[in-house]
Amino acid sequence: MEFKIAIGPQFEGERIRKDDLFIEFGGPKVKAKAELATIKKMDEVEHGKIEIIGPDIKDLAEGGSYPLGLIVEVAGTELDPDMEPVFERRIHQYCNYIEGFVHMAQRNDIWLRISKDAVKQGLTSLDEIGKVLIYLYTSELPIIERVAVTFITDAQKVENFLPSALDVYKARDERVRGLTEEAVDEFYGCTLCQSFAPTHVCIVTPERVSLCGAISWFDGRAASKIDPYGPQFVVEKGELLDTEKIVYSGVNEVVAERSMGTNDTFCLHSLFDHPHTSCGCFESIAFYIPEVDGIGILPRDFEGASVIGIPFSTMAGELSGGKQVEGYVGMGVEYLRSPKFLQGDGGLRRVVWMPKKVKERVKDSIPPEIFDKIATEEDVNDVDALAEFLARVEHPVMAGEFS
Amino acid sequence: MSKKNKAETLNIITNQVDTLNIIKGEDTWEPVGPTPLPQLPDLRNWSMRLLKTYKPFYAPFCDLCCNCTYGKCDLTSGKKGACGIDIATHQARWVLMQCCMGLACHGAHGRHLIDHLIEKYGEDYKIDLGMQVDVEAPIIRTVMGLKPETLGDLRTAVEYVERGLIHLVSSTHTGQEGNNLDFENKALHAGMLDHVALELTDIAQIVGYGYPTSIADTPLVELGWGAIDKTKPVVLAIGHNAASVNSMIDYLRDNDLEDKVEVCGICCTAHDVARYSDKAKIVGHLGKQLFFIRCGIADVVMTDEQCVRPDVPEEARKAGAALIATSDKISYGLEDVTEKEIDEIVRLVSEEKRQVLILNPEKAGAVAAKVAVVLAPNRKKGFIDTEAAIELAKDCIACDLCSQACPNMLSIGKAIKQFAANDIAMLSETFKRCFTCGKCEQKCPQSIPIVKIMQAVATKERYNVRSGRGPIHDVEIRQVGSPIVLGTIPGIVAFVGCSNYPKGDEEVADMMDEFARRKYIVCASGCAAMAAGMVKDKEGKTIWEKFPPGFEAGGVLNVGSCVANSHIVGAAIKVANIFAKLPGRANYECIADYIINRVGACGVAWGAYSQKALAIGTGCNRWGIPVVLGPHSAKYRRLYLSRKEEDDWNIMDGRTEKMTEEYVEPAPEHLAIVIESKERAMVSIAKYCIRRNDTPVGRQIKLNHYIALHKKYIGEGLPDDLHLFIRKPTDVPMFFKREVMEYLKEIDWKPRQQVGLPTLINTYPTKANIADIK
Amino acid sequence: MKPYWDVNILTGTKTARIIEDPVQFAGLIKKATRPLYILGPDTVDRKIGDKLFLKYCLDLAKAGNLPICATAHVQKKMEEFGVQPNSSYDIIEIVNHLKDPEWQGVNKEGNHDLIVFSGVRCDLAERGLATLKHFAPHLKTMALCRFSHPNADFALPVIRKDEKWQEYFASLIANLIGDR
Ligand code: SF4
Ligand code: SF4
Ligand code: SF4
Ligand code: SF4
Repeated sequence: MEFKIAIGPQFEGERIRKDDLFIEFGGPKVKAKAELATIKKMDEVEHGKIEIIGPDIKDLAEGGSYPLGLIVEVAGTELDPDMEPVFERRIHQYCNYIEGFVHMAQRNDIWLRISKDAVKQGLTSLDEIGKVLIYLYTSELPIIERVAVTFITDAQKVENFLPSALDVYKARDERVRGLTEEAVDEFYGCTLCQSFAPTHVCIVTPERVSLCGAISWFDGRAASKIDPYGPQFVVEKGELLDTEKIVYSGVNEVVAERSMGTNDTFCLHSLFDHPHTSCGCFESIAFYIPEVDGIGILPRDFEGASVIGIPFSTMAGELSGGKQVEGYVGMGVEYLRSPKFLQGDGGLRRVVWMPKKVKERVKDSIPPEIFDKIATEEDVNDVDALAEFLARVEHPVMAGEFS
Repeated sequence: MSKKNKAETLNIITNQVDTLNIIKGEDTWEPVGPTPLPQLPDLRNWSMRLLKTYKPFYAPFCDLCCNCTYGKCDLTSGKKGACGIDIATHQARWVLMQCCMGLACHGAHGRHLIDHLIEKYGEDYKIDLGMQVDVEAPIIRTVMGLKPETLGDLRTAVEYVERGLIHLVSSTHTGQEGNNLDFENKALHAGMLDHVALELTDIAQIVGYGYPTSIADTPLVELGWGAIDKTKPVVLAIGHNAASVNSMIDYLRDNDLEDKVEVCGICCTAHDVARYSDKAKIVGHLGKQLFFIRCGIADVVMTDEQCVRPDVPEEARKAGAALIATSDKISYGLEDVTEKEIDEIVRLVSEEKRQVLILNPEKAGAVAAKVAVVLAPNRKKGFIDTEAAIELAKDCIACDLCSQACPNMLSIGKAIKQFAANDIAMLSETFKRCFTCGKCEQKCPQSIPIVKIMQAVATKERYNVRSGRGPIHDVEIRQVGSPIVLGTIPGIVAFVGCSNYPKGDEEVADMMDEFARRKYIVCASGCAAMAAGMVKDKEGKTIWEKFPPGFEAGGVLNVGSCVANSHIVGAAIKVANIFAKLPGRANYECIADYIINRVGACGVAWGAYSQKALAIGTGCNRWGIPVVLGPHSAKYRRLYLSRKEEDDWNIMDGRTEKMTEEYVEPAPEHLAIVIESKERAMVSIAKYCIRRNDTPVGRQIKLNHYIALHKKYIGEGLPDDLHLFIRKPTDVPMFFKREVMEYLKEIDWKPRQQVGLPTLINTYPTKANIADIK
Repeated sequence: MKPYWDVNILTGTKTARIIEDPVQFAGLIKKATRPLYILGPDTVDRKIGDKLFLKYCLDLAKAGNLPICATAHVQKKMEEFGVQPNSSYDIIEIVNHLKDPEWQGVNKEGNHDLIVFSGVRCDLAERGLATLKHFAPHLKTMALCRFSHPNADFALPVIRKDEKWQEYFASLIANLIGDR
């Protein structure tokens, strides 16, 4: 390879200990820091250009923490602005492929650390990192035709850059919030898991992240453009056949075709009637608890038994393998934040139990009036206790809201 | 026949009938698959299908046969024996015999434990492997169709194995089987039964002794002769069956002696006693038996079964240590004192210096502990110092007869000569590669005690190994499901088997480190797990401290002793059965087909020496798991190899149920292969983790490591068979994109379709149902 | 004749012809139409005098114009000397190919008729030679190894002294030059 520094997936997850640290950019000690990927017109990007504004690695004193603005400009005839956040996440991924270089967090929280060893090996200039980034962007993502990278290390200039980055983040967040299933024409499908569960198809919508949690609507959109014959593909949503459980004709067609006729109907937001299939790698399970007519959430990393007495491993056995199993659905944890979360079944108001860790994670998406009404493993340990708890807190399921 | 015996026999017969009922009965945990309790003909077509692609390769170790009184028969140059057998068939027969020996060892080991535990707890004693393990016995479920719930069920399983074994051994008689492929089918069958035996044995001991299970983060056990506290009475257990040494731990606990007696072990019994008591220590792998006995640190040597040197009684006596044999499989011609009172035996051993056989584990344990306490205060023990050792070496006349005798071809003569001249470096290095077998000494005309001299150069450091954790948890299987699909975990590499290493322990540690850093899941067991712990990095950490202990990307786990190898295979089965929900019950072919096409697992037995290791490896092969062996293992005389360019790789696309027409990648390329150097082995292991079913991202990451390792160890350019594994441009790893794309253009490579659902099912006559894999 | 290593003692009847004379050894190589030189990792790990074993082997290959199959990790070292092997299989794989009379060889010109081994780990080489002895009657094998190999068709006597070994090589090379 043509780089002074070693790159490869084996360096992902490396740690740099305090004694091995040469310098860091960003992080808790530095205020001015941000990264941004932007899509430009073809003639606005000079391919391969790397610009360093301010002092370079070799000019900086060992042990210090420094400001950084990292800008990746990309261009390509097939690109669209919705891909920006996807490309921006790649900065994190690619940087971590570099030996002795660690990238943490994102946006205006970034924290990059360079080890002494890396400097010894030749990582004396940000130029090296720029070269790696450009190489990886173009080799992984052929729809990117041009890339240029800018590093700003001059404190004042980073300060100047920061507000414009914040504006972009804000605009993007607004776009995400405004993005609903109704507002788009295309969903995306993923069949990667068919290698293990041959009849499984994931349908990813702006309001439904993939089961594995790894593929959002934006990821699906980018991936389907990058490799139109790849495992992620466009699903024309078609006509809305059922407004309650959310059934789309286009989705059904794709599911029938890709599951080799095994399934022909998906209710996107229900676990009772033709639920989405579950492959095997779902992050969590939403499961029905008939005794209280409510729904529980059980994530994969929860050790011990769920409120109904069975651990994740056993329950997962019930629904995996690309089958539709009524009363269960595998889901990405982030799906809990979706406004359409199991809308057909009553949404978050129907949820009666979830582990504390998950509850904390999605706290801001749970309506405050029901937050305390959802039991955790700290409150109850079996269904009887759950029923008592729900009665005591007057959970909506107890009022018969869903019967 | 005595009354008791008769009753037992009847019992066994009833049990057989029960077995069939269990399999065929109303029990509905899963529908019964096509091959419950398979016998030789049932999976023969599967074997033959594998053997069509992975043809047996024979390397005769001996050109003669002396099996019967017609012989010796010379089988060279196409000659047949007096009975009509040819060299290839004779090799295959030999391999089968060896596999049967291995199988018999594991089976008898399991049988002993189960009978012992049933006597203690009754046959209805429940099997419970804890919250994290639902599929308790993936091998037994898949092979037999039995879901074992009690110790009694495990006995049913061992009976199945026992019956199969008789059948197999019978075919090795002169004038029985006459075709090498049919012998190979039998060897593969023996391997499969061996895995049943492994699994039932480890489950029995886990439930019987309450070994930890359902936790990944098991404690670190101290390892190395340097870790043994010789100021205490020391009991050394050697072998594989921890029944007696565990009973000794009970005795020590009951008598408040656990802190006062040092219990240590060599070989698998060490792993198991360390699972039972967190105070027990591990001396090391089987290669250091003679070395450790001779240094006299052990006051009592307790032998059980398997991989124990026949000369232990003689050596123990020379070292002034007491010897207690505890197994009817290794009785050493000793008097059986099982019926005598404990105190009487203690007296016989400590005062009369008698070596004894005690067949009751509780009694043996109590005696060993008591004798150690009596003997220890009066014994002088420890390593000889360098000066004394140099003095001993000075008689060397540099004749090199010792070197010639060395089974590892070490230049031991030169090392001794240099050592005599005060240069210790070469001897230190030689010791690292030495199995302390003592062959060299026997040849020395000067009677130089070479193994003893080595005490002077042996490191006295304390090392560690994570104690055996038992089965991989069902949830762990689920956790890795997605990273395997998404390509962040490139494969599962299992370092297993004995310590007949060509170049010492370090090679195993190095290989494990390389794959763990590359985020493979790295499993280890038995002597290999110990070898891996005998090396420290710059920061003084062993591999067991460096990497997480879970079944996860970059995890390094010790499943336990050799019988715990079943859990590694079990994990591959669980990927199919749990993650993909493939029906497993009595559905051997579908599960094996799933593994060979989808689960990127590769076994590495770098120092395999035993017949047991051969049986385990052959068992893996039948599941479709490739095994890489170190150079010594060529002496097993049979491998399973394909030829990537010449062979027919066409398979079935399960979606269309049509045979493929385009070239399909040769993955895995071989099922059993010997590789000469660790450098080459690492490159090959990465390649053998490739599976036909890889997703593009998965293939990318696998090829990335294949290329990167090739560049690191073999040569600058790209591997010359790389193009065979690239289906579409999206398979090309991004880190080498430019170079690979140029190469593909140069050789005029054409993209091809990825096979939708690659399968061998229905490419040969089978009862397996192709619908199961969909 | 007993090989140097006890582990390689033959239990059989068909044993190697020992070629004491390097001129004769060279003659045998010259007679072959499609020879193949297999180099194992001992060529990288061992020296003869001060010079790497591999250097001798490469000189020999050049003199005799022998195609090379580099096993194990030998290629890496060869590249340092600016030589590319004609193929890179591990020892067992190349032996497996050689068994097949229809195989086209490393140069795709047909299977080889003479196989010369150097530097393969001695016990493993002996196993590979045994395979070829029994299952590849269509070719001849030669062990160019100072420890001697009874399973080859042609082998050297045990050569204990470095100087003798160097002489053997030198003469062999001298007698091969220019003839192929
Ligand atoms: S779970 Fe993830 S990887 Fe699997 S099919 Fe769904 S989106 Fe694709
Ligand atoms: S078994 Fe056959 S080959 Fe072997 S000694 Fe007897 S007759 Fe000869
Ligand atoms: S004791 Fe060591 S050096 Fe001696 S023959 Fe055995 S392995 Fe070789
Ligand atoms: S056999 Fe004995 S005398 Fe001869 S070299 Fe070896 S140690 Fe020295």
